Amino acid sequence: MTSDSLILPQAIGVPFVAGLVLLVKGREMAPWLARAVAWVGFLVPALTALCAWWIFSMHPAGTPIFEQSMTAATPTQLLWRTPEMLFPFERDIGLGFLGLTLKLGLNGLSLPMFVLAGIVGLAAGIYAMNTSVDRPQAYWGLLLFIVSGAMGVFASLNLFYFYFFHEFALIPTFILIGWWGGPGGRAAAMEMTIYLTLGAMLSLLGLLALFFKSGAHSFDLVSMHAWTLPATATVPSGHKIFGLLLFGFGILVSLWPFHSWAPTGYAAAPTPAAMLHAGVLKKFGLYGLLQIAVPLLPGEMAGWSHLLAWLALGNVVVIGLVTLAQRDLKVMLGYSSVMHMGYIFLGIVCVSAMGAGGAVLLMFAHGLSVAALFLLSDAVFQRTRTYDFGAMGGLCKKAPVLSAFFVAATFAGIGLPGFANFWGEFGVFVALWKFSPWMTAAAALGVVISAIYGLRAVSRIFYGEPSPAFQTLFDQPVADLRPGERWPAIILLGALLLVGFWPGLLSRGINESLPTAYQDLRPSGHYVLTLNFISETTAAPTPAAPPAAPKP
Amino acid sequence: MNLPMLLSLILLLPLGSAVVIALFLRKRGNLAALLSIMVGFTVMALSLYVILTSYNPARTVYPAGSPESSLPSAAMQNWLGMAGPVWAEASHHWLQFGDYVFAMGFHFNNLSALMLLVVSFVACWIQLFSAGYMADDEGKARFFGGLSIFMFSMLGIVLADNLVMLFVFWELVGFSSYMLIAHYYTTDFANMASKKAFIVNRIGDLGFLLGIVWCWDHYGTVRLSELENIIGYHPGLVAGGAATGIGLLLMCGFVGKSAQFPLQVWLTDAMAGPTPVSALIHAATMVAAGIYFLARVFFLLPPFTLHWIMWSGAAMTACAGLWALGQTDIKKTLAYSTLSHLGYMATAVGLGYPQLAMFHLAMHACFKATLFLGSGSVIHACHHEQDIYKMGGLRKKMPITAATFLLASLANCAVPFFSGAYSKDSIISAAYLKGHDEGLIYYGVYALVLFGALCTALYTCRLFAVVFLGKARSEEAEHAHESGASITIPLIVLGLLSLAAGWTVYDWKWAGGLMTGLIPSGCAQVFLGGFSALEHTLEEKGLGHGLEIINVIVVLAGLAASYAFYGRSAAAGDPLAAKSPGAFRVLERHGWFDDVYDWYVAQIQQHFCDVLAALDKLAIQFGGGQVCAGGLSGLAGALLRRATVGSIHAYVYWFLAGVCCYWFFAVR
Amino acid sequence: MDTGLQAYLTVAGLIFAIGFAGVLLHKNTLIIYMCLELMLTASTLALVAFSRFYGTMDGALFVFFIITVAAAEVAVGLAIIVALYRRRRTVQVDELNFLKH
Repeated sequence: MTSDSLILPQAIGVPFVAGLVLLVKGREMAPWLARAVAWVGFLVPALTALCAWWIFSMHPAGTPIFEQSMTAATPTQLLWRTPEMLFPFERDIGLGFLGLTLKLGLNGLSLPMFVLAGIVGLAAGIYAMNTSVDRPQAYWGLLLFIVSGAMGVFASLNLFYFYFFHEFALIPTFILIGWWGGPGGRAAAMEMTIYLTLGAMLSLLGLLALFFKSGAHSFDLVSMHAWTLPATATVPSGHKIFGLLLFGFGILVSLWPFHSWAPTGYAAAPTPAAMLHAGVLKKFGLYGLLQIAVPLLPGEMAGWSHLLAWLALGNVVVIGLVTLAQRDLKVMLGYSSVMHMGYIFLGIVCVSAMGAGGAVLLMFAHGLSVAALFLLSDAVFQRTRTYDFGAMGGLCKKAPVLSAFFVAATFAGIGLPGFANFWGEFGVFVALWKFSPWMTAAAALGVVISAIYGLRAVSRIFYGEPSPAFQTLFDQPVADLRPGERWPAIILLGALLLVGFWPGLLSRGINESLPTAYQDLRPSGHYVLTLNFISETTAAPTPAAPPAAPKP
Repeated sequence: MNLPMLLSLILLLPLGSAVVIALFLRKRGNLAALLSIMVGFTVMALSLYVILTSYNPARTVYPAGSPESSLPSAAMQNWLGMAGPVWAEASHHWLQFGDYVFAMGFHFNNLSALMLLVVSFVACWIQLFSAGYMADDEGKARFFGGLSIFMFSMLGIVLADNLVMLFVFWELVGFSSYMLIAHYYTTDFANMASKKAFIVNRIGDLGFLLGIVWCWDHYGTVRLSELENIIGYHPGLVAGGAATGIGLLLMCGFVGKSAQFPLQVWLTDAMAGPTPVSALIHAATMVAAGIYFLARVFFLLPPFTLHWIMWSGAAMTACAGLWALGQTDIKKTLAYSTLSHLGYMATAVGLGYPQLAMFHLAMHACFKATLFLGSGSVIHACHHEQDIYKMGGLRKKMPITAATFLLASLANCAVPFFSGAYSKDSIISAAYLKGHDEGLIYYGVYALVLFGALCTALYTCRLFAVVFLGKARSEEAEHAHESGASITIPLIVLGLLSLAAGWTVYDWKWAGGLMTGLIPSGCAQVFLGGFSALEHTLEEKGLGHGLEIINVIVVLAGLAASYAFYGRSAAAGDPLAAKSPGAFRVLERHGWFDDVYDWYVAQIQQHFCDVLAALDKLAIQFGGGQVCAGGLSGLAGALLRRATVGSIHAYVYWFLAGVCCYWFFAVR
Repeated sequence: MDTGLQAYLTVAGLIFAIGFAGVLLHKNTLIIYMCLELMLTASTLALVAFSRFYGTMDGALFVFFIITVAAAEVAVGLAIIVALYRRRRTVQVDELNFLKH
């Protein structure tokens, strides 16, 4: 209890309580009160996450943030940072005898995801509160549960709670899709449930096997990691456990060929649910691979990497080409999000600092950009009443701000520099070259493919003259983005641009806390000697080059 | 302020202007234009200031602290003679993972000084021109915002100190080009052209990206200065499979951006953008960035890559020159002319004379910008009519435009004493020298570029004659009148430069040696050395005058023939199309590249994707998802359903069986 | 006469078996319920016997729990059966097969 911080429980608890209040009492509340409760529920995690980000980047590892206040008698360390993590929180909530103490904390790998969950949650919340739906309070309440679970997943340092929060976030998604989903919502929800439950089951099996076989006899990530740290420690049948985790998490992330739930599910899902699922929940599996599977079973990736790399290439190339054939905006977005997962898998396959860092950056960036795209595509639908490319055209003339945002989000998705996605993709390519140059070349094809479908969508929706079918629709005034649509988009795109221009905001923390499993990767194996020789000669004073290195 | 800070300022001013326009001036087009133009001129003034004040002739050429002669490779010395000493070097860590560092920084030498001058100078005049040209356009703010973003990206390419940063800005110019081509987004043509430009560029960038990644892996660095060091002392490294692969992949970036074979198809469509955009981006600066990039990493290019660049460039010179004869759109004619001139520059790089390529780049920027702006002035006067056979007789109605267009046309054809002549003729001579020195087959290059020169004379004269001479062919041309000052002033400035910029080669120094001819000495150093060395070699071999005379004869013959064929015709159609429709059609279809690509996209790619999508739906979603996953759980459900018979007694028996099982497994 | 633990357990086992047979064979819910109670009683008897013969209080303690819980259970169980009868007009298990799929 000496170093407890209530920051993280608050980020998880407030949306949970708000959601509970809305679900139970929502219909009896005054509308303004319900709205206020929802606002609190969505704002608190987002602000907490941003605050955590700020504190993390201000204070390098190991420095206390508030000095122990007065004397030793009153140890009121409100915020504290241990070498491993920020805001540790540990409490036995009644399951301690099973080794299941609630343990929360953030490190450089989980912080970006925590921030992502907060931001996307806020954007989805604002958007949800500005759309009219049947039984809005229950709708908001379920969304708040998802946010709470997502914050919990990324904050928990205990495998049991990782899994618990994961299910906690997933189940409201099924309900949202089944109840508020568009046509085919029930069937899509069912397919999604079957796949995701299967994935969750496999990963639960893997986690349990890890618990029993590792010998650490604890679900605590930190102590498990400490146990597997010595090079001599090998987990019996680690190969199989890794396989379980890999495919369990893989199904959760729509690894090819277990992806078919994603496009149908997203097409049917209500927009905020699609934003949260595609943006945040889908990253659980990847995060699990990065934070749990690879570090706790060091060396086991080698046995699976080729299979995983081929499947991930299937995501990038095969699904990329399938995306090209889509004629429905929302289905296309669903496929494109499946496609981009391939890059992240490829980053993880390399098991290197560069690959893992690129993967985390890409997870962060993709979450934001896909959420923005789902939001804006719904905004397009609100104005055109169709998702079919063939019937669209010329929207730019009527809604210039919407089209500017959509173009920006599309370019973020296809990895234009200036948006965070670029750094992630580039990092993955650099790391992947070490793994296999040919695979890098094949994966890089995705860069062209995503440009083709992205720009094709933009040109069909926004450019050109309004299509004949639209003409009648457009004779009535079509409003440009309303504030309720504009602000979530600004939040998402702003975060993308910020990290795109200053990727160092995230990379330092990631570097600092990359587990030792991600061994160093030297840029060059060939000319290390040559380089040394050269750097000796260039060490001589150079009159031509002023030493100042300004920050451009 | 020291040099890196000034350079940062130059780089960031346009970005600031773009941000301000995007956030606050979206609905105030005139203010946006004013801001953008002011920033443009400030950047130009700052660049001139930087180049004039920071140039130091006494600076040592090679910064490594060791004498130049210690470099083992003659090619490297040749390159350093062009790139010159490093004026400023700065680097800032941007992102780091493991041992990989992405940095942002400046690597500023003579080469970048020349490019900086060209870009900022041409850009500010074109922005001024745009103020007049786009005066009553709805999307004025968007247009000027796009120009600012473009300036930012282009300056980034010029200053970049490593390949990754270069790639970042490389992609950004692609984006700004996309945005500006799509300015008239309601027209189908602009819509398709913008998409095509970005995607074709991306195909080139795909190779470029892989080249950078491979280069990083192979040489261990992407910093230009470190690469210079490594290659400078170990010229043997630029040989073998990996080096050739890296060279070819890096070249892909150039092929995409400079629209060389086989990715040339986007450039002519890009003319769907507003004319100032065509002048700035698709003629003077962005497409030339490919050449600048090749010059910048020339030392990384192994012989095989250079050969490829040389042959494809020479072929493009001739083909694009011919294709220009088949166009009736004034801007498309000029676009093919640009392709042809980019071919000249590529040939020069391939021949091993990046100096001459840079020389031609600078000269081309002046006269091609003038030509495009002149065509813009004409189009503006004719109420957005672009067909040359609906113009005619504009010489009297638009005297300033006609005069400057004439100057630039003569420079374009390389008539002696005009700027284009110096650079183009030296490239042609260099091609002859290659054949003279290295074997018969290289005379092919000479023949191609000489044929290109003939074509240039033909299409340039055709253009001028049809548009400005003769009689008006349409109502619009009848009522055309000279454009306003904001259009004519840039025309005059750039027109005079297209006459006089080349006189720099006479090495006439003034202003205390800071200026050579009309170009600051720091910039002129890039090509002066290479130019005089070539002259010297030609002199030695007794070739100089002969080649000069052949060039002049070819150009004059072309001009005369073209005037004879096109100048007298008053018809409302192309004389060639009337006399030989088949030949005209061949030229018009420019080698059927577009048709082949369209066919591929529509017939192969689309069908392939459709089949894949159907398979995905059938095999994975239906087969894997619904039959296997759904079927399994359905089957399990059907079996278990049998067990719920609804009789309490049955459940008791189940319970009993369960207890027995438990006993059997757990207790025993 | 000395009766051993064996005798008590035998009696308890017999009562349990009678109860179990009743649960399996009878159709009337009320009787099944009484048979269940019989089985419960058999187990309390066994527990008391163990407690007595091993001299520990664990068994006796459990019996107290069981008696208390059983009282509550009777209340709830009978209430359920009465409610069932009111709704379905029968307490025969053959006719109470609405759990069947």
